[in-house]
Amino acid sequence: MAIYSVRRIVLESYPMLLVCALIGLLAGYMLKVNIEKIEAVPLILMMVPPINGIGGNIGSILGARLASALHMGTVEPKLRGQKVLGGNIKASVLISICVFLSIGAVFFAIAYAQGMALAGSARLMSVFISAGMMLVPIALLSTVASAFISFMKGLDPDNVVIPIVTSIIDVSGVTCLLIAIKIVGV
Amino acid sequence: MVKGVNVRAIVIQGLSILMLCAFIELGAGFALESMEEYLTLLPGLIVMVPPLLGLRGTINGALASRLGTALHTGIIKPRLAMTAELKANMASSLILSFLASATIGLFSYAACILTGAETIGVLSLVAIAVIAGFTSGLILAAMTVLVAVISYTRGIDPDNITSPTMATLGDFVTVACIFLSVVLVG
Repeated sequence: MAIYSVRRIVLESYPMLLVCALIGLLAGYMLKVNIEKIEAVPLILMMVPPINGIGGNIGSILGARLASALHMGTVEPKLRGQKVLGGNIKASVLISICVFLSIGAVFFAIAYAQGMALAGSARLMSVFISAGMMLVPIALLSTVASAFISFMKGLDPDNVVIPIVTSIIDVSGVTCLLIAIKIVGV
Repeated sequence: MVKGVNVRAIVIQGLSILMLCAFIELGAGFALESMEEYLTLLPGLIVMVPPLLGLRGTINGALASRLGTALHTGIIKPRLAMTAELKANMASSLILSFLASATIGLFSYAACILTGAETIGVLSLVAIAVIAGFTSGLILAAMTVLVAVISYTRGIDPDNITSPTMATLGDFVTVACIFLSVVLVG
């Protein structure tokens, strides 16, 4: 018997894709509304694609891994006493810290090369890194929650987790950058 | 495959692919920005670009995620043969590309009319969306299968690398396909 049915995949995914397209529109709208605040600080606009990309990828990797683990039964949809879940989250946190620190350093280098003062470049770097550190828990929580909830509701997490998480990240990425600008005080 | 969790392998595989994608993402920001000038030539077209890019990422992300699960559970064998399960997975991605692209074309037209923005005719807009969505869907579905199967046969967990790779490459392929369909539709 065939395990994958075209009908099931299409019926599960299509409504989800529409919701995500709408959230995507919201993300575009938020970017448009805040464009002046973002363009006021150099290089911030350039941070939007990488922060959304990294955040979405972190969620996608964890989501794909959790979906496989749920299907294989190595992870159960509950929070207590889950070694495999813990290991997966630990790995994701480690990856996130390394990537955001390194790309933050790249932004420091770009800012400094463009003639910005040392202190200013360091502040820009800390904007990117702190925005990233705010985004990571959002990515991990939304991934685990959507994987568990979809699995418990009898949906295939493979079909729903990545669309949901990448949409949430697209909206939160810009927000985290704006909050980070406020905190760091560029 | 391992039934438990190998944090070291996840971190090494996930980190390498994420760093690579983050750098490409930095370049993509520049490239897409310069291409956007051409995309504004046809009124209404630019509205569709972010949702079409988002759609691409989510449909292929879900395909990648399902393939990861299917390879781990043995439903799909790591061979490049068109089995019924692989066919169902690819066919549903293409049907979704078709349906969702057409919907995005219609939504974008409605959004332009509602906000009073200038736009080309609804048929041309939908045709451009569908041709771009379907051709990029075809190319990227094939690439997704290749990346998933090849990584699995080389001992790399496809869950760690397929969806980040496809999310990053997807943006380039989709923008190229939007250009192609603009030329075709005229």
